[in-house]
Amino acid sequence: MATQVRETFQIPDHVPPELVINVGITESPEFLADPYAFFRKLAETHPPIFYSVGSHGGAWHFLKHDDAFRMLRDAEYFSNEGGTPFPRDPADPFKFIPIEIDPPDHRKYRAILDPVFSPQGIQTLDATIRKLANDLIDEVIDKGGCEFTTAYGRPLPVSIFLDLMGLPQAMRDTFVDWAVGLLHSTTREGMASAFAQIVAYIKQAIAEKTANPDDKVISRIVHGEIDGRQMDEKESFGFVLFLFIAGLDTVFATMNNMWLWLAENPDRRHEIIARMTERPGDMNAITEEMLRMWAVTFSGRTLRKDLELRGVRMKAGDKVMSVLPSCNYDAEVWPNPLAVDFDRVRRPILSFAGGVHSCMGAHLARLEIRIGLEEWLKRIPDFSVKPGTQIEYRPGGVVGPEYLPLEW
Amino acid sequence: MPQVTYVAHGGDRHTVDVPIGENVMRGALYNGIDGIVGECGGGLACATCHCYVEDAWAGRLDAPSEAEVQMLESAASEVKPNSRLSCQIAMTEALDGLVVDLPERQY
Repeated sequence: MATQVRETFQIPDHVPPELVINVGITESPEFLADPYAFFRKLAETHPPIFYSVGSHGGAWHFLKHDDAFRMLRDAEYFSNEGGTPFPRDPADPFKFIPIEIDPPDHRKYRAILDPVFSPQGIQTLDATIRKLANDLIDEVIDKGGCEFTTAYGRPLPVSIFLDLMGLPQAMRDTFVDWAVGLLHSTTREGMASAFAQIVAYIKQAIAEKTANPDDKVISRIVHGEIDGRQMDEKESFGFVLFLFIAGLDTVFATMNNMWLWLAENPDRRHEIIARMTERPGDMNAITEEMLRMWAVTFSGRTLRKDLELRGVRMKAGDKVMSVLPSCNYDAEVWPNPLAVDFDRVRRPILSFAGGVHSCMGAHLARLEIRIGLEEWLKRIPDFSVKPGTQIEYRPGGVVGPEYLPLEW
Repeated sequence: MPQVTYVAHGGDRHTVDVPIGENVMRGALYNGIDGIVGECGGGLACATCHCYVEDAWAGRLDAPSEAEVQMLESAASEVKPNSRLSCQIAMTEALDGLVVDLPERQY
């Protein structure tokens, strides 16, 4: 597997050579040709713990559900410091909040937004999400086809995000462009340009909400208190920017993956529609199983102390990465893991990671995706991928097709 | 204001106010009571808000949903007939005085 390996990277001496398997997750040609086939292959054929070096350096890779939960839940051994591979200006460093904050402080940041993102908090968005979904469907339904990512997969979560943050809907297309530019650019310049624009906009939004509070997320962050003091500008910035990155690409990648499968599997689509009609409550289990099949991202940590797992000796300072999509294919947790089975016994999926840093947006994501499915399938029950389409994946930390031309 | 008593695994009892409509998981989290984690925030996705409802109260709770029963199988501590996921227990007047025992561990 040809992967660009950072030439200066030195594999630590304690890593046994037979466990070094450079798989190039998010970047190798094999990965990019079909990422989910790749995740399946890892889950089925690779050692549960191995070491891999790529353009971001080297890390232990965990493939088992159990080990991922250990990494996610055991803050005594696994730290979030340095676990987020996002480039930052060393002259003007900031922390992504709350992902880069360890307990006990991280809980204080999360508490500021708990009421908004709790299951009850998010439920209040049901009608808004349905309306947004239907507005988007209105624009394409009579056209016999669309490019799904731009027609629905991207704008739906972005619109909801804007609403939650207290930002104007008029910014929707700009936000989509920025999110795509930041996370899917093929050039450093493209990424840097998007980043600069996002930064400027966020700073301006923070200033605006500082002066004019409301009950939306940016204002709550800006006016939020930690240990009795107000958050400073850098903290607010790190929190808002992290929500931007975490909240946009992930949901749209997930939806793009799901609709690709739906487009290619008419029988299963019809099954979902039948269930939706006869037992609407089934949509929760359906959403959950589809989330299990198409986890879109990974979770990383740095070891604080030496640790031996499954006979593998890892040392303090080593980086660890849990391959969450492969962990969701762990046959010890989900028998016959590659089958999309809506009647499975419910078990904790890793698509939203886990532990104290588990995704704050999980309930929102589930709701958006479930409603996105319900409203689309009601109105456009039959669709397929446009013939001749080559599904393309780009390197990056979130996995999904770049474009999805559909027709009906 | 209704109250809930959380009995830690070692026997220590903490009684706190939990408003009507709030769930028993958050009653613990917001009052700094150890022994309930609630990592998924109440979404029936983690089984780390496991508790044992004391017998006198069991009959006053709504039956668990199928999703809760299934997710309980993932609880780290022994699942007993009176096991519940505390995020699914919403406070009502009738539950004022509820007592729940906390398990040895949540993971």
